[in-house]
Amino acid sequence: MTNTKADIKAVSKTARGNILAKLKAEVSGADYDKLPEEVPFNYPEFSREENLAQFISELEKNHAQVIKTTKANMASVISEQLKALNITKLLYGENDEHSEVIAALDSKIDLQTYDFSIDNNKERLFNECPAALSSSRCSIAATGSIVLWPDENEPRSLSLVPPVHFVIVDANELYADFTSLIKAQQWQDKLPTNVVLVSGPSKTADIQQTLAYGAHGPKALIVLLINI
Amino acid sequence: MKHIIEEESKYAASAKAFRANVARDLGNEELRSNFRGAMDYLMDKRKSAFSSEDELEVLREQCKLIKQRCLAKLPHLLEQLEGNLERNGIKVHWAETITEANEIIAQLIADKKGSSVVKGKSMVSEETALNDYLEERNVECLESDMGEYIVQLAKEHPSHIIMPAIHQNKKQVAKLFADNIEGFEYSTDVDTLIQQGREVLRNKFCQADVGISGVNFAVAETGTLCLVENEGNGRMCTTIPDLHIAITGIEKVVEHLSDVPPLLSLLTRSATGQAISTYFNMISSARKPGEKDGPQEVHLVLLDNGRSQAFADEELKQTLQCIRCGACMNHCPVYTRIGGHAYGTVYPGPIGKMVSPHMLGLEATTNLPTASTLCGACGEVCPVKIPIPKILLRLRQESVKPKSQQPEVMKGQGAGRSSVEALIWKVWAQVHKSPTMYALSMWGLTRFRFLMPKKLGGWTSVRTAPKPAATTLHQRVKAKQEKAKQSQQERG
Repeated sequence: MTNTKADIKAVSKTARGNILAKLKAEVSGADYDKLPEEVPFNYPEFSREENLAQFISELEKNHAQVIKTTKANMASVISEQLKALNITKLLYGENDEHSEVIAALDSKIDLQTYDFSIDNNKERLFNECPAALSSSRCSIAATGSIVLWPDENEPRSLSLVPPVHFVIVDANELYADFTSLIKAQQWQDKLPTNVVLVSGPSKTADIQQTLAYGAHGPKALIVLLINI
Repeated sequence: MKHIIEEESKYAASAKAFRANVARDLGNEELRSNFRGAMDYLMDKRKSAFSSEDELEVLREQCKLIKQRCLAKLPHLLEQLEGNLERNGIKVHWAETITEANEIIAQLIADKKGSSVVKGKSMVSEETALNDYLEERNVECLESDMGEYIVQLAKEHPSHIIMPAIHQNKKQVAKLFADNIEGFEYSTDVDTLIQQGREVLRNKFCQADVGISGVNFAVAETGTLCLVENEGNGRMCTTIPDLHIAITGIEKVVEHLSDVPPLLSLLTRSATGQAISTYFNMISSARKPGEKDGPQEVHLVLLDNGRSQAFADEELKQTLQCIRCGACMNHCPVYTRIGGHAYGTVYPGPIGKMVSPHMLGLEATTNLPTASTLCGACGEVCPVKIPIPKILLRLRQESVKPKSQQPEVMKGQGAGRSSVEALIWKVWAQVHKSPTMYALSMWGLTRFRFLMPKKLGGWTSVRTAPKPAATTLHQRVKAKQEKAKQSQQERG
């Protein structure tokens, strides 16, 4: 390779100058106060029940499994589901806010805490973690989307690499649509490293428009819906 | 105007061969049936995705205005985006040409001593032919979107921007996997095929040291890169490897985070009829201290490659409103019949015919804007209301406009100009300007119509040659009027 770090820095600097100069020449003198008004579509207001029904129906259309449960029952629901899937291991986040759920899980389940850096543990994450449990920040009714807000305790790959993903969703944190959610929580002020909207298990229709689930991410998304 | 397309993209040659490509692909029945099936499916999906025409229309108008506002402020938004990304620890690089973009990416990989790349779907990296560039430098580059993976195994290019492998059916994919995947258990069952692909690619995600992705929206206000996908490979590429490099065109920047929801909603519904994609991934930073995963370094490469040329013309600027949903292809009668490869360009179909001339110059793409029936379907379905047929007409004009005519709007202006054609139209215009000349020409045409040649090049290869009538329309109307007058007089 002939380039050096200094070269690409120079290339980029020159390119930046040229591109911006060209673009600026075209917009000089533009009056941004005179832009036409952007009118959004007025969606009808829905009740809590209607939003919940819409949320569940969209998720199920996308092959997610939605289980209505309570915080008290959650451990037994997860234990049963794991048993039915023939899975004996569960990966979960460190300092899990649902620690009482974890504590109440079937004692036969091999609990794995995500207390390691991914750097030297990729093989382990990919090959030895068949299922994971994560929390969620909130959700969106219109599209059946669950908002994951990964952090130090629940890393990004927790909800991505294990083939089965259990996610706890609080019905009290349901928003009508993405627009109202961003507005209500003022997301523009502070976004974390990564936010993901998840609306079903991983899928693809890349071969002859035939839907297949479990393309790269989780093959199963099991939603544990509480506080209904 | 100084043009900076110094070296030709490999797509220039294949775009020049457009006519031969069309002849080849129109004769391929399997290919045509694959496209017909896929386009019918996608059109149906889109149709059922909107609650009402009213919602669709309001959203289209809103999104058009959002994109036009963002373009009106483009240079300022790019600077704001850069500032916010750098503040979040994401390095920003700029490239005017595809070679510059490739050089930057290759160097970033070399700096980290990377040797194995997994790629999420990125049409801009197709535009730069990044895979070829990296492989020449001994960096293994694996496409991880299922469609892109299939296309890469087949040593082909995507034939559709959303569904790259729609030109292949499941039998063809099964054969491809059998030829390329060690230990493949032969099956034409789609689930089985995907699961076997999954196994191969999961190993690669685990081992790769670099992830490369595209960007659907880059939010200036927050410094956030947004990716839309269903498979999870985009999340893998941007989460697992140590180094993440995103590449995108300069037109992908939006001003506010609140601009994203309406655009996202129109994008997925126009593309595949989904209310939302399975994953909507928003990246605002590299791994922060204390975080256990995510890349240590994130870079964004902003590519011009002809976009600033389109930006400089009020009408052609609308090309940059495109959010790459592919609806114009799905509804295009020409695309459905000739398929995506015939165009010879990275972006096929109506959108390809609009953007490729800016990327490759009109010399290589002069045929593309003419490959349209101007039926208007693309313009009607475009979620951001780009007047595609009008822009295609404009590009046709640019391609025959004399080179000397100022201002020079684009590279290759006048490349399609033929002196014979220009002369014919000049004479035609003269004849139609003068009543005497017109009458004289009609007199000649009706009398010497037997001199009309039977063969007229391409026109008569599938049609009979036109023959002037024995009498002109004027003469016939006149005769009819006289006859009517006569019979009236007789009756009277």
